[in-house]
Amino acid sequence: MEIILSQFCRKLHVARTVRKVFHSVLLLIGLSALSWQTYGTTVAKHAPVRTTENIEAKDAAITVSGKIISEKGDALPGVNVLEKGTSNGTVSDAAGTYTLTVSSENVTITFSFIGYSTQEIAVGGRTVIDVTLTEDATTLGEVVVVGYGVQRKSDLTGAISSVPVNQLTQFPMARVDQALQGRSSGVYVLNTDGSPGGNTMVRVRGLNSINGGNEPLVVIDGLQGGSLNSLNPNDIASVEILKDASATAIYGSRGANGVILITTKLGKTGKPVIDAGYNIGFQKLARKLPVMDAASFAKTFNQYRMTDTGNGNIPTPEFTDQEIANWEKNGGTDWQDVVYETGIMQNFQLGISGATDKVKYLVSGNYLDHNGILVNSQYSRASLRVNLTADITKWVDFGLNYAFTKETYKSPSFREEVAFVSQVVNNAPRWAPTEPVYDELGNYWVHSPGYAANDTWNPLASAVEPIIDNPIFKNNANLFLNFKIAKGLSLMITGGALLTNNYFRDYYNSKTYAGLQNNGWGHVNSFQNERFQNSNILTYDNTFRDIHHITFTGVIEQIYEEGLGSTITGSNFLVDQLGFDNLAGAKSIVANSTHYDRSILSYMGRVNYVLADKYMATVTYRADGSSVFGAENKWGYFPSGSIAWRLSEESFLKDLDLFTELKLRASYGKTGNQGISPFQSQARLGSGPDYNYPYNGGAATDIGFGLAGLANPNLKWETTEQTDIGMDFSLFNGRLTGTIDWYKKVTDDLLMGRDLPGYVGVNSVLDNVGSIENKGVEILVSGDPIVTDNFRWNTSINFTKNKNKVLDLGPDDRIGYRPSTGGYSLGTDFMFLQVGESFGLMNGWKFLGIWGTDQDAEARRYGQLPGDPRYLDLDNDGDVDTDDRTTIGNGYPEFTWGWTNQLSYKGFELSFLFIGYQNVDLFNTIRIRRDSFWEGTSTVLLDAWTPQNQNTNVPGMIDGKYREEQNLTNKIFMGNNSGATSQWVEDASFIKLKTATLAYSFGSPKLQSIGFQKVRVFMSGTNIFTITDYTGYDPEVAAFPQRGDANIGVDLSVYPPARTFTLGFDLTF
Amino acid sequence: MKNRIYKIKNLILMCGILLLINIRCVELDETAKDFTGPSTFYNSKQQVESAFASAMQRLYSEWSAYSYGHWNFESDDQMYGGELVFGDDQGSDLWGAHYRSIADLNPAIKALNDDRLGTSVSQEEKDALMAQARFIRAFNYFSLVRLFGDVPLITEETNPVTDEITRTPTVDVYAFIEADLLFAIQHLPDSWPGENQGRPSKGAAKVILAKVYITIATAPLNNTSYYQKAKDMAADVLDDGIYSLVQDVSEVFALQNSYGPEIMWSFNAAEDDVSTPPQIWLPGSMADGWGDFKSDQVWGEAYPAQPRKDAYLLLEDWNGDPYTEWFGTTPYVKKFLYDSRENQERYRSIQNIPIVRYADALLLFAEAENMVNGGPTQAAVDAVNQVINRANGYVPNPADPLLTTAMTKTAFDAAVIQQRNLELCFEFDRWYDLIRKRILCDTAIPEIQQNCDDNDYLWPIPQTDLRLNPLLTQNPGYTAPE
Repeated sequence: MEIILSQFCRKLHVARTVRKVFHSVLLLIGLSALSWQTYGTTVAKHAPVRTTENIEAKDAAITVSGKIISEKGDALPGVNVLEKGTSNGTVSDAAGTYTLTVSSENVTITFSFIGYSTQEIAVGGRTVIDVTLTEDATTLGEVVVVGYGVQRKSDLTGAISSVPVNQLTQFPMARVDQALQGRSSGVYVLNTDGSPGGNTMVRVRGLNSINGGNEPLVVIDGLQGGSLNSLNPNDIASVEILKDASATAIYGSRGANGVILITTKLGKTGKPVIDAGYNIGFQKLARKLPVMDAASFAKTFNQYRMTDTGNGNIPTPEFTDQEIANWEKNGGTDWQDVVYETGIMQNFQLGISGATDKVKYLVSGNYLDHNGILVNSQYSRASLRVNLTADITKWVDFGLNYAFTKETYKSPSFREEVAFVSQVVNNAPRWAPTEPVYDELGNYWVHSPGYAANDTWNPLASAVEPIIDNPIFKNNANLFLNFKIAKGLSLMITGGALLTNNYFRDYYNSKTYAGLQNNGWGHVNSFQNERFQNSNILTYDNTFRDIHHITFTGVIEQIYEEGLGSTITGSNFLVDQLGFDNLAGAKSIVANSTHYDRSILSYMGRVNYVLADKYMATVTYRADGSSVFGAENKWGYFPSGSIAWRLSEESFLKDLDLFTELKLRASYGKTGNQGISPFQSQARLGSGPDYNYPYNGGAATDIGFGLAGLANPNLKWETTEQTDIGMDFSLFNGRLTGTIDWYKKVTDDLLMGRDLPGYVGVNSVLDNVGSIENKGVEILVSGDPIVTDNFRWNTSINFTKNKNKVLDLGPDDRIGYRPSTGGYSLGTDFMFLQVGESFGLMNGWKFLGIWGTDQDAEARRYGQLPGDPRYLDLDNDGDVDTDDRTTIGNGYPEFTWGWTNQLSYKGFELSFLFIGYQNVDLFNTIRIRRDSFWEGTSTVLLDAWTPQNQNTNVPGMIDGKYREEQNLTNKIFMGNNSGATSQWVEDASFIKLKTATLAYSFGSPKLQSIGFQKVRVFMSGTNIFTITDYTGYDPEVAAFPQRGDANIGVDLSVYPPARTFTLGFDLTF
Repeated sequence: MKNRIYKIKNLILMCGILLLINIRCVELDETAKDFTGPSTFYNSKQQVESAFASAMQRLYSEWSAYSYGHWNFESDDQMYGGELVFGDDQGSDLWGAHYRSIADLNPAIKALNDDRLGTSVSQEEKDALMAQARFIRAFNYFSLVRLFGDVPLITEETNPVTDEITRTPTVDVYAFIEADLLFAIQHLPDSWPGENQGRPSKGAAKVILAKVYITIATAPLNNTSYYQKAKDMAADVLDDGIYSLVQDVSEVFALQNSYGPEIMWSFNAAEDDVSTPPQIWLPGSMADGWGDFKSDQVWGEAYPAQPRKDAYLLLEDWNGDPYTEWFGTTPYVKKFLYDSRENQERYRSIQNIPIVRYADALLLFAEAENMVNGGPTQAAVDAVNQVINRANGYVPNPADPLLTTAMTKTAFDAAVIQQRNLELCFEFDRWYDLIRKRILCDTAIPEIQQNCDDNDYLWPIPQTDLRLNPLLTQNPGYTAPE
């Protein structure tokens, strides 16, 4: 079927004339159908209504007033009060009272308020109408956004987390992905670095893939592949996270990593609302690494230097007594103070929204300006959003979502790809406090040789001197037409475009390391990506005989994406000043360009059937044809099915009057991950310097083209099969609700490079090999433990436990990784994947502490002395070599949790969020060098082993001559892997008060009389405190997951997260 | 009236729908944008030649004197260091480089077979292209079969991923090499015009074929009937008169002689192709040299004193300080250091690394002629003495005397191999002489001789290949993965 359609499409593409005919036919069919709809339905049904309205409009207007209260009797301010079918409305005041003049005594008034069921009350001639609104924790009416449509929450059969928007906006925040942290079970969010605008890693239900990517699909207003970074959090109306196969299979080959659905806001009926907000945050480095003061450092190093008596050497101290005395008096340089400053983050928001009965709109602008704590780091984002829907006719709606953002991002190098020698975050705490920042001439100081980080560049120069400019422009537009064809039947045709332009430029002058090496070094890198999506969604939703509720959704969708890029690298500049603004000034220029495209054609169907609001089932099926798959595997098929049973609707439970809601769910399905770059299935010839050769014997090389990659016509998506069993419950009239899910996912056909024999001429080919399993439990419980007239406490706890296991790695049982750049001795196999084990394992030697004086004899058997580090001789063969390596850590947490709280008292509101990640290890690489006498600056060195101080993990200083005289034979054979010991592996479990906000809302009639509906002021904190044993900057870092999630768990000194205090206000007019 | 308005609205809407539907149906067939694949390439002479450039670059990056492929050979008797205990990965880098080179050539050969060039070039040019491709491929297999014995024979018709690949017997690999080279000799030109002077010539193909024949005549095949073929082929080169020795031994490697009259084919170096710098040959006192490769002290000091020693070995640095003050206190290698001091200080060299030169042809002829005739003929003696005379600066030198017809066959043979040792030193040749004459264990550096055994005459099949293809067998004396 799909093949026929795709061939059909191809024919259409080839023969444009045929397509035009096709369209004309469609047009005619559409026209006649719609005309029939217009004349038939409108005349038959709507016309009489219109007549009635016309008559009623002649009636006299009356004024209605009253008080709106909650079930508990609290006055409810801010409730929308609206004459039904018109734009005539008002909002209740702080006392909950309202007054509205309506056009007739026979109209109906609608009372609506977030979190409460909407009520419609016919006026019926009354002038006073008091209303009690009920909270709608489990009301049937609450809808949830699912892929390609909405469903009543009660009808859901899949595992979907909704993050309440009021929770998202409780705290001032720059980005949506950060705001998701700790909010939802099954969602693991990690700040991979703390730089302004820096990366966040979001994982839904563990890691499924080794090379195919684990990023969830982000869908914003139906448009796939959106970016959470560039979205203005204030514009969000709802966030839904699709987790099980029943929910994600609708996204087929892109659904395996979960799907994050975001819907943006629209105006609400009533008078136009203007929102204005401003906040300012101040940031500090949350924790400094402890560094010795200059005098202590000098004394410690001298002491160490004097032990250098081997080989007949007569050592001399590095620092004179006078120098030390001088530092004691005047101090030295605190390099962390030099490169970190107070960061400032400002956020401006202005939005206008409103609606009439025909048109809803929202215009929202936001500007975020963030200067980070590391000097010369900055992020800014300007965004504008326009959302509009209009009922053009009775049978057609039109909608537009448009968003523009401009972001700029810059930061000194802390990333892996940058030369280690100028990695500021790593170098600053390693530069000796005895080194000044500048020399007498005002030039950057060059580190003195012989101690500390003398192989690295001045951290301040590395931070301040690079000029970086990186504007990114994004234009997202999504248009739709929704045809209401017949009762319950509608067709939505959407066309969307995501356009991204990225223009990156940097320049390293001769004061930087890279600049000096290259005599000036600059890049201009431009990249453009455009993605078009056309989704055609047919929805049929109807209830038969009051108990059979059927929803059918059918989709035909096509996505086309194209990317263009070019890079110019210039070096050898005659003049430093021009930099990247004129690369023509460079003697050496290397240029490169890229171009790719990809396309997906999809057919999808979903049937949701609900019987008597009690029994429900959903079946989905999606077929995806993707250009990136191999020629033999262009199409993938993704079925899923799920059932649910609302026990609470059964009479035996209903009579108990205990459960407001109790639902059992089960689902099973297949989803895919097409983390394949375009053209990967094709054979590839390489070109460039690695292929060029002066074959003709001239002065310059001749262009060479050689085999670089082999074709794999069988290449296909990764497939994840997922089973989910879950339960939703609601007790005590909705005051306690919860969700529990158990799931098991098995991902097969993992995309990995399959090694090839050397005689093939290509090292590996991308293929589907290997298999991984994820199992987990998710629990979310929330409730209102205390609710009184004035005080309310809402709390929510979520808990996630995920365990993954590698089932198969193709021909190998084990694949090793090396996660580090140069500078650390981690060899080639420090991180590894092993069949039967989980992701994130570290492999090395177990550190057993320091040999004590009472272990002298045993130490000598290994050629060691008391005071030397002791390692486990696993195989007990008298030496410590490769055979003694074992698993020494796991970088993936056993479980994570989040706890949100909201306490309100009158106008005050206190919200706070705790998060915790438990049983997780981090390899603290910076300690390898900071904690060694040869070059360390760490204060731990003051606690070195001595015969008097044996209760320590810091080795002792042993005299070289003495060691020589002992005539020992060293039995520690670690080679170039000597860094791979458990000495540097730390428990990185933590509990963190992630954010807390104290806010006060003014809602007095006085304010309203001068035009304010709401005034809210707040103060807020982020990263307020962390309870952890981890000794690095922050346990909540992941090292460079862009190299693959298997590398998670190594702290390679990324930009540390900051502690932030924010003050701000929100105004609503 | 109302109806008419509806109609107009409908029309506008339909236009909108039309626009939306009009987004073209996406194509699922991929056409690569920023790269090409073998099935759509090799459509022009230049494209085919680009395959040769890549095929040679693969070798240059491992084999040229400015890279580290030499590590593999430091266990001969010429180089400093070395250890006759070969690991299971010995030579795997060269294995990979040769097969990558072959993988670049095979699709080009296939395209030529399929006549993808059509009528765009003459048959003569097509033959010359095919001749170059098969020449380079033969060179690759000649290295592989000598180093590893029976090897997988991947041709333009092989799919190395899906076909069942086994090791092809040595004798069949040689037959394949011979066929490629015979085609090359038939279709390569005697010489190339100046702008193409770096390409392989007919003469280069003849010398390599002569060496193939003499190798078949010696170990491991020991098919002595091939001495005659070797002699004829080498004699051909001598008779052609196209190539000759450079008269002054100190100018053999001078840059102006990079493309003749003596050097017949080389790894070409160019200004913009900076591979590993010449520092690997330089002592620390010259241009911050790294001194990775140098002569074995015993071998270097035994090298007869003559002008050739000063031309081929580096005995003192720019300051006039002797090698005895350098790291290793041994003579270094000068052959690859004929580029300017200025370039060496810039960590670069544009000096070519010879693969085939006329001196080699003379010595091959002498060796084969002696074997065919059961003793040295005047022609054989004349051929070797050309080399010796030049080495001595055309004056008698008792340290390296001229050969005579009075010598026995065995003595003459040994003397020719010794001349190869001295003349072709560090030119990737000694190891092959040691193994085809089976003299490795006698001549190896004394300290490592006790580790020498017959298994050392072949290197191991790389572990990766064995692991991924169970049909491959390992050479004796090496382990195979479980």
